Amino acid sequence: MSNDPMAEIRASFFIECEELLESLQDGLTAMDDGDTDSETINVCFRAVHSIKGGAGAFGLEDLVRFAHRFETVMDEIRNGRLEPTRDTIALFFRGADVLYDIVRASRDGESLDTATTEAVLGDLEALVGGVIEEEEAEEEIDFAPMTLSLDPIDDDSGDAPVEGTPPGLLIRFHPAAELFSSGNEPRHMLAALRDLGEITTTCDLSKLPALADLAPEEGAIGWEVSIATNAKKEEAAEVFEFVDGLCELSIEATGTPFAGLPDLDSPAFDNIVIPGTVDDGEAPETAAGEESEPDPEPEPVAATPAPPPEAAPTPAAKPAPAPVAKPQAAAPSGGKDAKQAAGGAKATVRVDLDRIERLVNLVGELVINQAMLSQSVAEAGIPANSAVSSGLEEFLQLTRDIQESVMMIRAQPVKSLFQRMSRIVRESSAMVGKSVRFITDGEQTEIDKTVIERLADPLTHMVRNAVDHGLETTEGRIAAGKPADGVVTLTAAHKSGRVVLEIKDDGGGINREVVKAKAEEKGLIPPGVPMSDQEIDNLLFLPGFSTAKEVSDLSGRGVGMDVVRSSIQALGGRVTITSEPGIGTTFSISLPLTLAVLDGMVVEAGGEILVVPLGSISETLTLQASDMEQLGAGTQLVRIREEFVPILDMAEKLGFRSPLASYEGSSVLLIAMEDNTRSALVVDRIVEQRQVVIKGLQESYGRIPGIAAATILGNGRIALILDPADLIASAGSSRTMQALDLAG
Amino acid sequence: MSAASLPLPARLDLPAAAPLREALLGHEGKPLSIDASPCESIGTPGLQVLLAAAKSWREAGVSLIVEGLSDDCTAQLAIFGLSPDDLCSKELAE
Repeated sequence: MSNDPMAEIRASFFIECEELLESLQDGLTAMDDGDTDSETINVCFRAVHSIKGGAGAFGLEDLVRFAHRFETVMDEIRNGRLEPTRDTIALFFRGADVLYDIVRASRDGESLDTATTEAVLGDLEALVGGVIEEEEAEEEIDFAPMTLSLDPIDDDSGDAPVEGTPPGLLIRFHPAAELFSSGNEPRHMLAALRDLGEITTTCDLSKLPALADLAPEEGAIGWEVSIATNAKKEEAAEVFEFVDGLCELSIEATGTPFAGLPDLDSPAFDNIVIPGTVDDGEAPETAAGEESEPDPEPEPVAATPAPPPEAAPTPAAKPAPAPVAKPQAAAPSGGKDAKQAAGGAKATVRVDLDRIERLVNLVGELVINQAMLSQSVAEAGIPANSAVSSGLEEFLQLTRDIQESVMMIRAQPVKSLFQRMSRIVRESSAMVGKSVRFITDGEQTEIDKTVIERLADPLTHMVRNAVDHGLETTEGRIAAGKPADGVVTLTAAHKSGRVVLEIKDDGGGINREVVKAKAEEKGLIPPGVPMSDQEIDNLLFLPGFSTAKEVSDLSGRGVGMDVVRSSIQALGGRVTITSEPGIGTTFSISLPLTLAVLDGMVVEAGGEILVVPLGSISETLTLQASDMEQLGAGTQLVRIREEFVPILDMAEKLGFRSPLASYEGSSVLLIAMEDNTRSALVVDRIVEQRQVVIKGLQESYGRIPGIAAATILGNGRIALILDPADLIASAGSSRTMQALDLAG
Repeated sequence: MSAASLPLPARLDLPAAAPLREALLGHEGKPLSIDASPCESIGTPGLQVLLAAAKSWREAGVSLIVEGLSDDCTAQLAIFGLSPDDLCSKELAE
């Protein structure tokens, strides 16, 4: 399967689709914010158009069918025949959602509920006042074979530019039938070229037949345009970016800006001719660095801004037939970056995640190796001011820098995640009939890709909760003197080595009385216990609470929050709530930047060295006889302030030794569990607190209860990283001991 | 002597091209005056038809004149790299 080149191309098409959908969202959001720039709708149009193009090549008919209708309606806006009203844009958002679903379904080979699709299609058609024609299949496959244009090779002939002639561009442009049928008009492009410089346009009538033989819908005439300009080819190509694949186009630089260079700098080698595709679609795209482009030679285009000898391979590479889908599928990312590209887009490279994984692992090894080296140096008794020690110090710094840089490779902006949330807001607000404004901030904040993927579910839940339960009804808001539109804000930011996400609503806040009453009724807390606001808010995270559907009707919260919290905790994160009556509620999620390293506490239990994730430890203490209490035969409790917490011997639990008669003098790690209960894990000794590199065990050993992973310590020993929650849950002793309140 | 007159549509776009071609074919081989005054926008599909007509008329040695072309339309022709003369067949007239 992995050797199937078509499957790879297909996979990269879907990756591109995601980028296209992202730029579509961006465009629509900009339009929704009142951006009336024609480029914005063009970006949206191109995104949909490119998805359609690629989908056609892969025979994804559902996708083609929907995308075609979608783009047809967008085209009406491009042509000024349709006003982009709020309703229209809202419909476009729905269209984008459906498109997303179809892309997903096509990718995963699933079937899709057609009801939504048809509903949106119906609305789209209603907008343009009629059924949108199915597209003729030929457009999808209408890619003229690549021809090799080496014509100006005879550069010693008369028309070769004389050394030192002023720079310019020579453009040959011949529209195809589809260019007209898609509503494009060459005159506008020709007119746009005039902005680049002094222009000479010659209409090429050589292919024009007699009137009787003319098919007026075909392209019978073409143009040759020479422009005296310093503009780059890309700038001219930009003019033709909407007719990508709909015309024959060649753009060549004329003049000899690099006087004195050998023959290679002749424009012949600096030429791009891709009949049937417009090179502009590729230019920014290559600049944006689609490394996995099947086109084996995308570089020449990127190289054009600096056209020296490397451009030579261009003609040779051109005949390689790019897969049919590529030119079209590629266009959009070009479109997305078109503006930046003109001004020099940031180059990016698409790399297989496995390779990065390998690099991350290697760097992990390096960190471990470096720790071992430090330890050896320390053991050798080498003085701290020696050359070895100071060299090692630098090595340490470098290792850290490398590690950070490597982690950054895998980091991705949370933008895609936020866009998904914007859809959740749209859908859930429509469902509950509230008018909601969704504001995002810090979209460019980067988190490890693996973290982003696992954040989607909990965030969805929380955003949905904010809309459903956090915000009041429209009537309620008006009655409270608030604006009718509720506001849900999603922000991301880096704070002291962690990423903090906040989901904030401007609703009525948590109704603590109701929450508390509910928790008492459910038997989650003993009745009548005085509780702080914070404690009440945290009740929402109790598992039993989540089933309390009625609470949601009373503008409380808590549907599935326990699940949210456990998923966040599985990521090494924490969730906190702050709520103010009448002002709103904020959920904060604090996450580590990466899952590859972990802050851990190194402990010794039964002669073994283990690592306990620091995030799960709420406090540590040393056991004293007066703190301990025996409960029944096998259970010992430790008294911590107002509570008794069951003691769990880590070494015994892991099978390192049998239980001790007394734990006096042992160290205790107090572990806060997801259900708000606590357990005391007894260890022999706390060794140190340090960062460890996580090494997965599951691949080799399968899942081991109570063990999350392993790491290698500085002395070369392997230490297991504990999953305390799992260990305690399997001990089964924690739940019964919940909140044995002395005062109560 | 008096050439037949054919008015142009306001927009010489794709929908207008085929009917224009039909209309012109109806006058093929005969002197024709095209009344361009209603025309506001010249699109390539319509332009192709006019150019092909001029070519056919020229080959037949018959007069084809375009009259009343607005300044705006003349400017549009210039963008295409053309002049009003390119749409005419003046062999006979001269």
